[in-house]
Amino acid sequence: MSSIETGPDLAGAPGRGRGAGKSRRSRDRYAFQNAAIAFGLVAVLVTAVIGIQIGTSGATLGDVLQTFWAKVTGAVPADRATLQIQTVIWELRVPRIMLAILGGAALAVAGTLFQGLLRNPLVSPYTLGIAPAAAFGASLAIVLFGATAGSAALSLVFGALLFSFLNTALVLSLASTRNLNPTSLILVGIALSQLFGALTACIQYFAEDEILAAIVRWTWGSVNNSAWYQVLVLFALLGIAFPYIRYRSGALNAIAFAGDDSAKSLGVAVSRVRLETIAIAATLTAVTIAFTGIIGFVGLVAPHIARLVVGSNHRFLTTFSAIIGALLLVVSDAVGRLVISPGVIPVGIIDALVGAPIFLYLILTRQKAIE
Amino acid sequence: MTLRIDSLVVGYGKREVVKGATLQVRKGELVGLLGSNGSGKSTLIKTIAGINRHTRGSITWNGGTDLAALPRRELAKIVAYVPQSIGLSFALDIKEAVLLGRTPYFGTRPRDDDWDHVEAAMRLLGLDELGDRAVTELSGGQGQRVLIARALAQDPEILLLDEPTSALDIRYQWQTLSVARAVTRKNNVAGVIAIHDLNQAARFTDRVVFLHDGEVIADGPPADVYSPELIKRVYGVDVELSAYKGFVQVHPLSEHAEHHHRPAPFAPAFTPRPAEGRLELQA
Repeated sequence: MSSIETGPDLAGAPGRGRGAGKSRRSRDRYAFQNAAIAFGLVAVLVTAVIGIQIGTSGATLGDVLQTFWAKVTGAVPADRATLQIQTVIWELRVPRIMLAILGGAALAVAGTLFQGLLRNPLVSPYTLGIAPAAAFGASLAIVLFGATAGSAALSLVFGALLFSFLNTALVLSLASTRNLNPTSLILVGIALSQLFGALTACIQYFAEDEILAAIVRWTWGSVNNSAWYQVLVLFALLGIAFPYIRYRSGALNAIAFAGDDSAKSLGVAVSRVRLETIAIAATLTAVTIAFTGIIGFVGLVAPHIARLVVGSNHRFLTTFSAIIGALLLVVSDAVGRLVISPGVIPVGIIDALVGAPIFLYLILTRQKAIE
Repeated sequence: MTLRIDSLVVGYGKREVVKGATLQVRKGELVGLLGSNGSGKSTLIKTIAGINRHTRGSITWNGGTDLAALPRRELAKIVAYVPQSIGLSFALDIKEAVLLGRTPYFGTRPRDDDWDHVEAAMRLLGLDELGDRAVTELSGGQGQRVLIARALAQDPEILLLDEPTSALDIRYQWQTLSVARAVTRKNNVAGVIAIHDLNQAARFTDRVVFLHDGEVIADGPPADVYSPELIKRVYGVDVELSAYKGFVQVHPLSEHAEHHHRPAPFAPAFTPRPAEGRLELQA
């Protein structure tokens, strides 16, 4: 038994491709990913600046730059017209665009994490039931505090947050105490979605027309009621989440691509990483939709688009996915403000209108790649 | 340099699956783990790999290192595990899939040393010629080679393979087993392979260990250990043994054939040709 039998494909394999050139290529293989991320960041900046200029009281690029300069230097413009345009830009347009950018990024990152952790490309940030829970919380707040969005905005945010956190806490405690596998987690999510969906339907069934309209309007998802505090909260959250996700990218790769058993054998504390990462993804989702209402599709589609461009490695995928999510929402919001101007179509509607064909295209081309 | 498993007990909840198994595996040796479905093969392998926890007994390496007490990450630098098949949820390219084997070694960014191991493992398994293809485009045998390459990139001293051939056709079964045996020798690792096919086990392993109801009931070179009585006890099947090119081969019999000492009409392929005769087993 001294001779080593090798299969036909193995013969002649050793020694091939040796040399420093080959090795160096491995090391530079992420140049494309880094370039894509840099290019994407520039694209977000450019679309954001264009997006700020869109609106009923038109603003030029000069106005936008002047506003930022004025905010940096603390200067207050002398004439009323300039002051007015700068106020519109700083108090309405910038937070709106920023909320679209950060919200899109947060949902896309959450979608990427959920898809990887549950090893399922059909999963979205809403799979574990966060969206219906938030919708129920918001509906309850609308019933209790009235339908006027402006004055009740904070109660709406709290209502949505409270119930999405309750939902997440329930899912996570079930996951940790019962040691649930990805499929069971998805089923628990479906059950909770149905439960909160039914509860919201109850409220809608008994609500007056005005209340009903407010509830429906909330579920469409928009950045119309953006405020600076929302921008800052999301910014801080993403600032905390990103370093952690980057630190865990190796573990995420192992769980997503090798499976639980193999990931454990690769030295990953699978249960702990899954719980921590789900908690982060759920928090990003909950806070975002508490501010915007339910914006569909971006969390499902952005990770897929990103995967097609930079590949599946989470070290780059989460970042690029965030960029795609931001772009998708900023562009959708701009489109929503342009098509029936001065009317505004909520970003949640436009984003699904844009997202659905892209998703269809992906499904069809992917099938071709498999054949 | 020996993997020593002593009186190991592993259970799921109250049900014990491995009930006091004792065995040893030396470096450079490939040991076949045999037994019927549910005999505890997979559980034993997963316990050595740190996927399951044992309730009693010990797993030690090199005479002193208690593998079960090591931190996960440190264990992963000694023990590598090859599952039955590659997961295919997302299209990852081959090099990234092999790089997963370096997970215990680097944080966020793979270093030169990590790439060296990845490239060496890919060369050894002939994967470099497949280029940057995605794992979703690979055949079963190629996928299995990616998994073995991943395990080798882990730079292990103990290599565990959990029925790596059960989903493959005969060509890829042969190829995978050849690779498994070659790497245990070449990389001087202690290899354990759970396997169903007794003939392939006889052909490719240095030693076989029979697990029956969670206990080791036989341990030794295939030609010494295989006997119709043992195989009847483990699998409940009557067999004849023969020698083929120096390897012991197992041929299941129908009841009819056993009683009349001639081939069963519907199982001619399993019957040894008269010229080869029957293998006399040493006591």
